[in-house]
Parts: sequence; C-alpha cells; structure tokens
Amino acid sequence: MNERPPTCDPAPYDPALCDPALCDPAPGGPAPGGPAPYGPVPGGPAPGGSAPYGPVPGGPAPGGSAPYAPVPGDLAPTAVGLEPGLVPEGFVAALAGLPGMGHRRLVALLRRWPPEDAWRQVLGGRADDDPGLADLWCRAAADVDVEELWRRHLRAGVGVLAFGRPGYPAVLADDHQPPGVLFRRGDPSALDGRRVGIVGTRRCTRYGRELAHELGRDLAAAGVRVVSGLAAGVDGAAHAGALVAGAAPPIAVVGSGVDVVYPRRNAQLWADVAAAGLLLSEAPLGAAPEAWRFPVRNRVIAALSEVVVVVESHIRGGSRYTVEAAADRSRTVMAVPGSVRNPASAYTNALLADGCPPARDATDVLVALGLSTAGSGAGAEAPGDQRPSPGPIESDVLDALGWEPASLEGVVLRSARSPAEVMVALAHLERDGWVTSTHGWWERVGHG
Amino acid sequence: MLATIPSATLLGVEGRRVAVEVHVSSGLPGFTLVGHPDPVCREARDRVRAALLSSGLPWPTKRVTVNLAPGMLRKVGPGLDLPIAVGLMVATGELEPEAVAGCAFVGELGLDGSLRRVPGIVPMVGALDVRAVVVPVDCAAEAAVVGRVRVRVAERLSELVACLRGHEPWPEPPRPPDVACSALRPDLADVRGQPVGRTALEISAAGGHHLLLSGPPGSGKTMLARRLPGLLPALEGDDALVATTIRSAAGEALPPGGLVVEPPFRAPHHGASSVALIGGGTAWMRPGEISQAHRGVLFLDEMAEFPRMVLDALRQPLEEGVVRVSRARSSVTFPARFLLVGATNPCPCGEAGPEGRCRCSDAARERYNRRLSGPLLDRFDLRVVVSRPDVAHLLGGPPGESTAVVAARVAAARERARSRGVGCNAELPAALLDEVAPLTPAAASVLEHRLRVGALSGRGLHRVRRVARTIADLAGAGELVDEGHVCLALGLRAEVVPAEVAA
Repeated sequence: MNERPPTCDPAPYDPALCDPALCDPAPGGPAPGGPAPYGPVPGGPAPGGSAPYGPVPGGPAPGGSAPYAPVPGDLAPTAVGLEPGLVPEGFVAALAGLPGMGHRRLVALLRRWPPEDAWRQVLGGRADDDPGLADLWCRAAADVDVEELWRRHLRAGVGVLAFGRPGYPAVLADDHQPPGVLFRRGDPSALDGRRVGIVGTRRCTRYGRELAHELGRDLAAAGVRVVSGLAAGVDGAAHAGALVAGAAPPIAVVGSGVDVVYPRRNAQLWADVAAAGLLLSEAPLGAAPEAWRFPVRNRVIAALSEVVVVVESHIRGGSRYTVEAAADRSRTVMAVPGSVRNPASAYTNALLADGCPPARDATDVLVALGLSTAGSGAGAEAPGDQRPSPGPIESDVLDALGWEPASLEGVVLRSARSPAEVMVALAHLERDGWVTSTHGWWERVGHG
Repeated sequence: MLATIPSATLLGVEGRRVAVEVHVSSGLPGFTLVGHPDPVCREARDRVRAALLSSGLPWPTKRVTVNLAPGMLRKVGPGLDLPIAVGLMVATGELEPEAVAGCAFVGELGLDGSLRRVPGIVPMVGALDVRAVVVPVDCAAEAAVVGRVRVRVAERLSELVACLRGHEPWPEPPRPPDVACSALRPDLADVRGQPVGRTALEISAAGGHHLLLSGPPGSGKTMLARRLPGLLPALEGDDALVATTIRSAAGEALPPGGLVVEPPFRAPHHGASSVALIGGGTAWMRPGEISQAHRGVLFLDEMAEFPRMVLDALRQPLEEGVVRVSRARSSVTFPARFLLVGATNPCPCGEAGPEGRCRCSDAARERYNRRLSGPLLDRFDLRVVVSRPDVAHLLGGPPGESTAVVAARVAAARERARSRGVGCNAELPAALLDEVAPLTPAAASVLEHRLRVGALSGRGLHRVRRVARTIADLAGAGELVDEGHVCLALGLRAEVVPAEVAA
C-alpha cells in the first residue's frame, strides 16, 4: 500500500484560534467567568502536538449529568458556551465527515485512540485494518482543514458531543450502539430529566396530529422532555405541542445536518426547538437528509427515551425502526389506538394487538413513567367542551363521518342523505368546531 | 382572353371572397400564378394541368397568367384549383362565359380530374354572394348548411364540364343518411354510486360552471366528464351555425345532417401544444381545441400533466369567450365559449389524501400541484373530490338517473337563467346577484362566517352565489337562495389542490 506522507499536520495549534475573543461565535456569548471548563491554556499549545486536555481514557464519562455548566437562562443557539480554540471535539467532527464513517466505525476509532491521535492515524492511512478503507479515509482527510472546519462549527453555533469526551450523555455512553458524535444546537442540559419519545408517520391524519400535539403539550407541562424527530406529521406536531406548554425543553434528533432544515416548512419549529430545548444530529454539518440516515437516527431517539409512544404509523412505516430499537434496549413502547379502517393506524393497532400498553392520553404515559397513579380520563366526555351540541341531523352526519377522514362523497354514501343535506350539516358542524376540511376531505375534530 | 371566376378562401374560421382572374395571351407558353398564394395554393398549376389533360381537355400552349384578387389576402389551401381550371377553360374558349355566370367554384383537383373535399366549406360558401356554388360531391352537406346559396355538386372535372355545357343535367346532391348517432352517446345511468360527482355534473351543465374533478385513478373522473355533453341542451340557431363553421374550418367531418347540433366534446391529450389548444399555426390559422369545443365541453384529462404555459393560455379565453390569435401576417378572432372540465390526480401516484396512502415525496407533490396556477384554479366554480366507488355499488345497486331525466332538469334550469337575460348562471354579472339571487338570513350567515374566518374571498363569494343560484334553479326553488343551496355550493368548491404549497 502506498505510504502517503501526512499532508495536513495536526500540530501545532494556531494561537489565534485559542483566543476566546476571536472564537466566540456571538458577541457577549459565554458569560463572564471565563470560557468553558476545558478552555485552552492561553498561548499554550502543548509541545509535540498531543491533546492538551487529556482524553478520558476509553469509556463513558463518569456520572450522569453533564459537566457542562451552561450559562443559566442563556439558551440561544449561537450563545451557548462553546469551546473556543481547537479542541479534541474538532477532530471528532472532522472524523465524522469522512466517507463511509458510520457510528460503529467512529466509536471503534474513538475507543482505540484519543480524537487527535485517531485523526493522525487516519492521515497516516493506518486507521483501519481494511487497507482500502484506510486509504479512502487518508485521501479524504488530506483535503480537510480541521481548524477551518472547527471554525465553521463555532460560527454556526454548533456544539459537538463526542463519544468518550466530557459532556457526552451518559445514557448514550451506556448504549450498545452509541453515536460516535452528536452535533448539537441548544442546551445539552435539556437531557437531564425524564424523557419520552413521541414518534409516528409523516403522512398522518388530523386525528394523529391532534393526539401528538396533545401528548406533547401535556407531557411537557408535566415536566417530561419530549424526544422526537422534527419531521413533518406526528413528530412536528409533538414538538409543537411541547413548545406550547413552555415547560420542559423539547429534544429533537434529526436525520440531516443540524444546519440543513428538513422539511423546509418546519424551519420555524426547528429554530424554536433549538432555542427552547436541544437539537441533536449524528450527521455532520451540511449533510443532506438521505434516506439511510433516518432509521439510524431513530435508534438515537429510542436510546434517549424511557418510553416510546407511537401515535400513528403505517404498517411499513419508519416508526417500526424506532420500536425495534426501543425493544432492543428494553424501553417501554406504547401505542395510540386508532380506527381499524385507517391505514395510518395499522401499525399502532398491530402493536396493541402484540400487547403494547395503549397511550390514550398523557396520563397513561405518566403512569408508565411512574409519575402518576391516576387512571386515564380518556373516553369520558371532556368536561371543558364548550362546543354547542349538534342537532339531530348533525349528530347523524357526525356519526357517519366517524374518526376517519372522508370526502363529501364518502359522508353522503355513509349517511344515505342528499349531498345538500349533508353539506348543510357539515357547514354547521364546521362552524361549531366539530369537523374541519382540508383539500376536500372532512375530518372530525377532537375536543380541545 | 380574360375570365373572372368567384371563389373563396379561409382566414381563421371566416371565409373571404376571392376573384380568380385568368388571362390567356399569345406569347411564350407558360403559367404564372400571382396574388399571394401559400405553398399549397401555388402547387395548383401542376394539379390543374394534369387534371385537365386526364379529363381529355386541352392545356393551352399560350401564355397564362392567373391572379388571385385581392392581392393582400393570403390564399391558403388547394380550394382554388377548381376555379383556376374553370377560369382557364373560359379564357381559352372551352366554356362559354354565360355557362359559368353567377356561379362560384370551390374544390381541390386530383391528377385524375376528380374533385376533392377541402376544409372550411361552410364559412367559404357563407362568404360568397352568388346564386350558385359548385363544390366536390363530398362537401354537398356542408355547403347546404348555409342555405342561401344553391349547391351544385360534381364528382369529376369532365362531368362538371358536361353539365356546364348543358350536355347533361346537374346531378342531385346525395341525401344524408338518417342515422341517429345520439343513441351511441354514453348515458349517465351507467355511472354507479358517485352521488356527489353526479350532482356536480348536473350543476355544471345547468349553470355553465367549470368543473374540476380530483381523485385517484379509477375513480370515474373521465367517465363522468364524457357524460356532460349529453346533459347540455342541443345547439340551436346561430350557436349551431358557428359550431358548424368552426368544425368545417378545422377540416373535421361534419355530422350526417351537416349542421352541428350536439354540443361538441373535445379531449385533447396533455401533450397538446398551446397552438393546438388555442389556435393558429403556420400553414393556415386553424381553430384550436378550445374553439372546436365552442358551446360544448373541453375536457382536460390529467390536467397537471399539461405544461403550465399551455394551461395559463386558457385564462383569457375563459374570461372573454373568444380568443384572439395574432401573428405577424394576420390576426384572427376565434369564438371559444366552452365549458371546461378538468380531471387531475391529487399527486403523481394518485393516492394522496388524508388517509396517507400516497407514496410520493413532498417535493414531487409540490411540483405536481404547482402546474395548476392559482388563477386558473380560481376559474373552476366546482371543485370536487371523487373517490373510487364501493364494490357494492359497482356490482349491484340500482342504476342512477338516466341522461334524459337529468337533461330535462338542466333544460328547465337553463330556461330560468335565460329569463334573467343571460345564457347561463355562470354569466350572471356580480351587480345583478343581489337582485336575482337574494339570500335567506340563514344562507347569509353561513357566507358571513366563511368570509370572517377568511375561507372565502370577495370574488369567491360571487362565484359561490352563482353556483347556489343554479342549485336553487335545479331544485325548482323560488327566487330566494336557501342555506342548503349555499352550503352545497361551498362544499362543491373544495380546495382540492393546494394552490400555494407552504414552502
């Protein structure tokens, strides 16, 4: 094999990079009192280029809580206390961007060497036993300017949680498939607390969106962190609900780079979650939302959650990856029951048939967490329903509509009334908030 | 010697008089054709020569000049072959000038001396101011539609000369076969289930409201649309004549009776260019699909597959009922008052809906829906989601109402619209709505709620009121428009395609 001379010499540090004033991503960023706990030694690159911060020798960070000391109340994504200067996390970020670098290979590298040494091994073409892969990495790494890459992270306000480094979440360090790196926006202390994953299909019905929103809202109000994927449909609705509650911070694990908003229409929600909670991704900056990243991402959601609630999912939906990953880790999986005729509830109903506990509302989930002993109030008419009760024809039409979406034609056929009669009833019901229509489809609205 | 023969040419859907002047003089033998002929017309020289010789008639060894007057007008097509041949015979003394006096000629010549059909006989004959016209025998029925001009037919040039010389009597024009082809039209009774689709179809026919059908493949969109022309009243008077003129000018075969009385149904494929749809063209200004659908139905299946530019070209004719086609050489106005029926899938795979069976990506769906512009969608007064009918309805179930029953209701509703001074309710001016479509208090409150929550725009309000008027007319209700009518009008105006997908 060809012995390529390392073209990118990792040593020594550029002193300019170590100046907190230069590296600070936002003016007035870290609170007075100094830089992050492992701030660089001023002007002091260690001779020989070895990491000056002494890597934690193999294994998870001690203790569950992060040794981060985030600035209280200062949760803006660009203003979180980021490590100035070139730190080992910078090398981990560079390693994560190499081609063919999955979480298993990255963790294997980090278990073998400290980040900086690992990078040097990569440059030397000795990082993997497979010469082809080592050579591929070597060639890719030759073009990477680690300092510039790290500066990009600082500018973007993106922090890095690296496997084996301080600050890496303990719950993941104990996992059997830990992420080698997590890029983050927002406050990592959001992870401290009870966490529930709410997942489901992107192509959900209104019922699913409502339930996800209510669960997210009520769980967050009870102090539970909502973990989800910020996707369209159920995921986004759960996070939107958690934000409405304004209590426990939401946690999002996304499939693309934290700077690549996907889907685009969730841009506002994406920013809100990063501001109020934590946005995590295994994918390096600029990574496109490729299809393979989502099942991999789902295992992180499962690993971070104590309970996983599936709100709505098709029989072959992506939620089953989350459920399998949760079962692997002995996490409780709960499912929201849906209509047996609704294909979007097919998987959740199958889960219930397999013996998963049902999640009818947030109380069911809180009971599963041991946070509540009260029985679920689901099924009873909500006492706070302010809507005027429907008339006889309206009730009939509402029954015909049921809890599945239907076109006008569907309702007409089911209720055996004339289109005009049905439309009058639907117009009354819509005015009173019992039903809603989108793109010619009618759906029943739950209470609240 | 000089001869002048009246004839006509086609400009768009209008006929224009042409005087064919033939001058024969001594000199170097030759044939010159002047007077702005198009390439097809210019080829007349070779066709006429061969036809004369094949028919045993002499070709003059003299200098022949043919002028097509007026010189400014472009002469299109082969229809001037016959008048050139006749003029030549008169100029050379083969025929007496008296034999052709007061008679016009239109037709193409075959090399064997046969007379062939040309497009646009109806408008061309209509433009003539002569007592009689000679046309190819295949065009007899078309020429007879005009009525004012005596129609003489001939099958061959030799036969025509014999008749003109008085050696033989003129042949009788062939009698059109009396077949009622309306029996072959699809009937509404074949449609099983689909109560909302049928209702929308009936309202569309009665009020002249454009209809958009959205639904998965196999939900019966095309089946419904094909039954719409049967619900429309038969064409009468001027409408029939205009429709006949357009069809003739487009070169399409006319029905056996000559006059087009059944509302036309045009379903261009989505590969159609905007010229094919709107009209125009390089050879001659041919009426497009929208003009051929005049007073009938233009059905655009797979509407989102049409190029967006082609669809947006429909907006102006939809508003004005005519389309002006301007080219460097000429500018032509085509009539284009048609009922637009669009059919579209909700997404490329066709399964989108809240049930979530769709397998398309968000981006693909967005691209698909962007093809239909908001302003075009706004032209559809009726936008209906149709779903696949139940198996029970398909296999058993009672047949629905037949076309005849529904058409009778439609005719009655149209009669009521005519009493308001408009052809159909879709043409009601907004200013007249308060007078002819007053709302009951309950109906007004429904509309007010929609306006308040922003689900209805000012223009949408007028459209809903027109549709509600039609629904009331169909129901035989009085002058007042009821809550039920308004609610149904609103329900049949669903946002079936998200006009602007959130980015």
